[in-house]
Amino acid sequence: MGGSAIGHIAYALAAAALVALAATVKTDGYVANILMQATTYAIAVFGLSIVLGLCGQINLAQAAFFALGAYCVGLGTADYHLPFWLCLAGGVALAFAAGAGLGLSTLRLGGHYLAMVTISFQQILTVVLINAIGFTHGPDGVSSIGRPGAFASGQAYLALAVAALLITGYLVWRLANTRLGRAMRAVRDNELAASASGIDVFRTKVIAFALCAGLGGLGGGLFAGGFSYVSPDQFSFADSIVLLTMALLGGVASPIGSTIGTGLLILIPEWLRFLKSVSGLYLAIYGAAVILIVVFMPDGIWGFIGRLFRTRKRSPLESAEPLALCPADSGAPVALEVRGLAKNFGGLMAVDGVDFQVRRGGLHGLIGPNGSGKTTTLNVVTGFYRPTAGAVLVDGVDVTALPAHKRTIAGLGRTFQNIRLFRSMTALENVVIGAERRGNSLVASGHDALRRRARSALGFVGLGDRAEETIPSFSYGHQRLIEIARALAANPTVLLLDEPAAGLNSGEKKALHDLLDRIAAAGLTIVIIDHDMTLIAGVAKHLTVLNFGRRIADGETADVLTQPDVVAAYLGAA
Amino acid sequence: MGFFLQLLFTGIGIGAVYALVALGFVLIFRATSVVNFAQGEFSMVAAFLMVVFAVDLGWPYWLAFLISIAGMALLGAVFNLLVYYPLRNRTYLPVLISTIGASIFLSNSVLALYGSQAQVLPGWLDTPGFQLGPVYLDSQYLIIIGVTLALVAFQYWLFERTLIGKKLQATSQDKEMATLLGVPVAAMIMITFVYSAVLGGIAGILVAPVLFVSIQMGSTIALKAFAATIIGGFGDVAGAILGGFAIGVIETFGAAYISVPFKDAFAFLALVIFLVVRPQGIFGERVAEKA
Amino acid sequence: MALLAVTDLCVNYGEIEALRGFSLAIEEGAVVTLLGANGAGKSTTLRAISGLIAPRSGSIVFDGKPIAGLTPRTIVKLGVAHVPEGRRVFPGLTVRENIMLGASNGNASSAAIRREADAMLDLFPGIRPFADRLGWTLSGGQQQMAALARGLMAKPRLLLLDEPSLGLAPAIVQAVFKIIAEIHQRGVTVLLVEQNAHMALNVATWGYVLETGRLALGGDPETLWSDERIRDAYLGGARVKAAK
Repeated sequence: MGGSAIGHIAYALAAAALVALAATVKTDGYVANILMQATTYAIAVFGLSIVLGLCGQINLAQAAFFALGAYCVGLGTADYHLPFWLCLAGGVALAFAAGAGLGLSTLRLGGHYLAMVTISFQQILTVVLINAIGFTHGPDGVSSIGRPGAFASGQAYLALAVAALLITGYLVWRLANTRLGRAMRAVRDNELAASASGIDVFRTKVIAFALCAGLGGLGGGLFAGGFSYVSPDQFSFADSIVLLTMALLGGVASPIGSTIGTGLLILIPEWLRFLKSVSGLYLAIYGAAVILIVVFMPDGIWGFIGRLFRTRKRSPLESAEPLALCPADSGAPVALEVRGLAKNFGGLMAVDGVDFQVRRGGLHGLIGPNGSGKTTTLNVVTGFYRPTAGAVLVDGVDVTALPAHKRTIAGLGRTFQNIRLFRSMTALENVVIGAERRGNSLVASGHDALRRRARSALGFVGLGDRAEETIPSFSYGHQRLIEIARALAANPTVLLLDEPAAGLNSGEKKALHDLLDRIAAAGLTIVIIDHDMTLIAGVAKHLTVLNFGRRIADGETADVLTQPDVVAAYLGAA
Repeated sequence: MGFFLQLLFTGIGIGAVYALVALGFVLIFRATSVVNFAQGEFSMVAAFLMVVFAVDLGWPYWLAFLISIAGMALLGAVFNLLVYYPLRNRTYLPVLISTIGASIFLSNSVLALYGSQAQVLPGWLDTPGFQLGPVYLDSQYLIIIGVTLALVAFQYWLFERTLIGKKLQATSQDKEMATLLGVPVAAMIMITFVYSAVLGGIAGILVAPVLFVSIQMGSTIALKAFAATIIGGFGDVAGAILGGFAIGVIETFGAAYISVPFKDAFAFLALVIFLVVRPQGIFGERVAEKA
Repeated sequence: MALLAVTDLCVNYGEIEALRGFSLAIEEGAVVTLLGANGAGKSTTLRAISGLIAPRSGSIVFDGKPIAGLTPRTIVKLGVAHVPEGRRVFPGLTVRENIMLGASNGNASSAAIRREADAMLDLFPGIRPFADRLGWTLSGGQQQMAALARGLMAKPRLLLLDEPSLGLAPAIVQAVFKIIAEIHQRGVTVLLVEQNAHMALNVATWGYVLETGRLALGGDPETLWSDERIRDAYLGGARVKAAK
């Protein structure tokens, strides 16, 4: 979903045409109201497509943010006689800030907590709107809400709303392919991999949440001006659910889906008006529909259509530049140093005072029997676990206090034992995310430079001609290679590979062996954990052996593998 | 002092209702990792069933009660099959949304079938209550507290003293291991849903004479029960029960001393505060669960 | 006739070929050990036998009945008990309750099961003092004992043990293997997956070595232990290289 120049121009033309239509075609009041409602709701649903569709986080309070915008415009123009634009901007800002605040306080916790906090916020706001009568007018609501002078007529205001819809729709559509949008999608697909690729997961989630809230406020503000009257019962928890259902029905990942969903769920009740004669029947069907959509059409209508028409794109065979790898070199002889590392899991000492140094350049193996603490050590070194004691130094710099994404920026790259790729994206996009980590000096800014670097990395691992395919179409062995390419694109100083040979057949292992040699030849330092000793012995010059969380051997490969206590660690007694 | 005790009594009384709903909610969560947003609707549906049988059809109270509870058991089973089972292998988000859909479906089905007029359900006993020193003990509240304590005792007995209770716990703690031993995990989950629906139903029938029986009663109770589970420590059974009592007391005192109209906001305010300050709740997540 | 016969078993995890045509046979009363490096497919073999994962192809015949693809509940009722890797003692239940749940494949009354659990604890004197302590409070070795006791409650004819020595100190490993030998003496057939080849071959009557999903070696314990290739299966061709 890139967007060629033609696509943008076409959109702009179509948008202009729609706005012109809205401004000129006369409709009766009833239709105009429906269009106004659909338009403003759709803007709020765009917000959900950002936070839920792109970023994978739940927001059950969108109606509350909608209300913040609506009441800002309502009270601002009716009670305080402030200009419309000021009130609208204030509403958006207030909603944005509320979203950021909620996000900051709870996005570190799991999904359930966020759901509950958003519901609580919604409930509190509803209670305040109803009961703070002196300020909010309580259940009577706010009437005589103003409009901007230039758009005072119903027709003109509708055109304004439609224009706002098309502009925000465009921005949300474009967001998916910006750096921030990619970060959001990465967080949605695989938080750990996103961290390992240098993305600040928490910050990304908070931004997504705040943007969603801001769009809710925008929709609400326009809604208030459109209907000239707002009251608390229009912004309850049930309305948050309605907005959520609109997002899900159409397809939560795209603005087109959002628009479809909103349109359908506002129009269908009109077509099925007879259902409303029995109060509750319509919403009961609604509720059942939510379940059915979630079970059978998780990607919504637009997602479903999109899947029918997905074509496998073969990228043009542009010759990729060779991959430049320039690992940082401060002059210190040791690229990675681990000192006195310990990790305690509630009484279990998984890592118990481990030291080793990895000399610059070449391959260093970290081995040991199952349960010896290798992966735990790796996770502590890369910042996914906090050490109980000890220090980690990369290229002489102490990174022990840094979170995972900052260690990537400091020069650590890693792959995971259970391959962690962003499955909804293409191979190229996965590698681009690796390439665009902050501080990557080998990439000029700009989308083209990123794509070139990503192509080079994919070419380096042998997958250059399949860059535009999505992850599920690759074999397991190839997915491993993409993960390595993603790490390489970031130009790491030290690359840590967690069981890269797991699940590979012998042909794939040979290819991996060659790849590792080529990476080492470029000057990178590699630390490899694996159980395939043939591979390890073939590529690693040095080994550190762990057993029961302690280091039992460290030295040249050939020596270490014949040491009796190493043999005993693996086989039992010598 | 008398006022304080009266508030305490009322708070514990309404807190007992929250505790029952929270208990049902936590049991489902522990067995299936599902956050059941329709838990409150179980209470609401049961209350309406009671109105139908005891008020509209005039059946004896005890009979209407049994039939309503049987209906709730059936609802729990259907809920398991239609809402949870098809999604049991998906992530938490689709399941959560599905339970929200079920919640909307249930509340609006009742609306469609019965109408939006709030109903009145008489209390169990004819005597309205009696005075004990400075405190007026409303009979329905006494029943609520009594039944809740009995159910909590039953819960304890079931889980700690019976083999099936052990199987239910095992299913919550490690589904795959339970399967390997031959525990019928699907049946355990079905029992959990049925039991939780019945608990929710009893809570609804108990509290209905105190409030009006309305479509919205379920969601308000449920949201406060959720708050209770978080304050007590998400996923902890004892925590849910105590959290329910705590919310009832906080809310009652808040309404009396601070502001009546904002009563409903207190539970959520407490929730937000806890989430920010101490997300693991009063009891935290026991180390056992992490093992 | 062999108690358990596995023929040409192929098991995939998604795309990964974990087992590529593996065959083994276990006689009644034997202790067969399945060795190999991590990732070789040992645990996968046990999971396929106990029904946790359905094989892509191949057959598993227990006591003359084909069991490939059946549910774990059915298989444990037929007499195959699986003590999985990591012990997986229920953390929030006591040792006694854990052991009692081991009889979930039968229909005995609660009282009868309680008596059997008591009797079982006599076989495991090391954990008797902890009978009423919660599972998570036990050490790794104690948990392993509890898991073994729990597995035996199913009165299995075939007991599948997955890496009982994992993460345990050598002295505790000795104690665990002593129990395994006793279990063998009581007539239970055992299929033992282990990384610790030394301890396993000491207690086994037959052994197989897996390497990346295929059979590499098979034979009686003494022969296997003295075969250089067993070291290669774990440590690669390094020994050959070192000699260069």
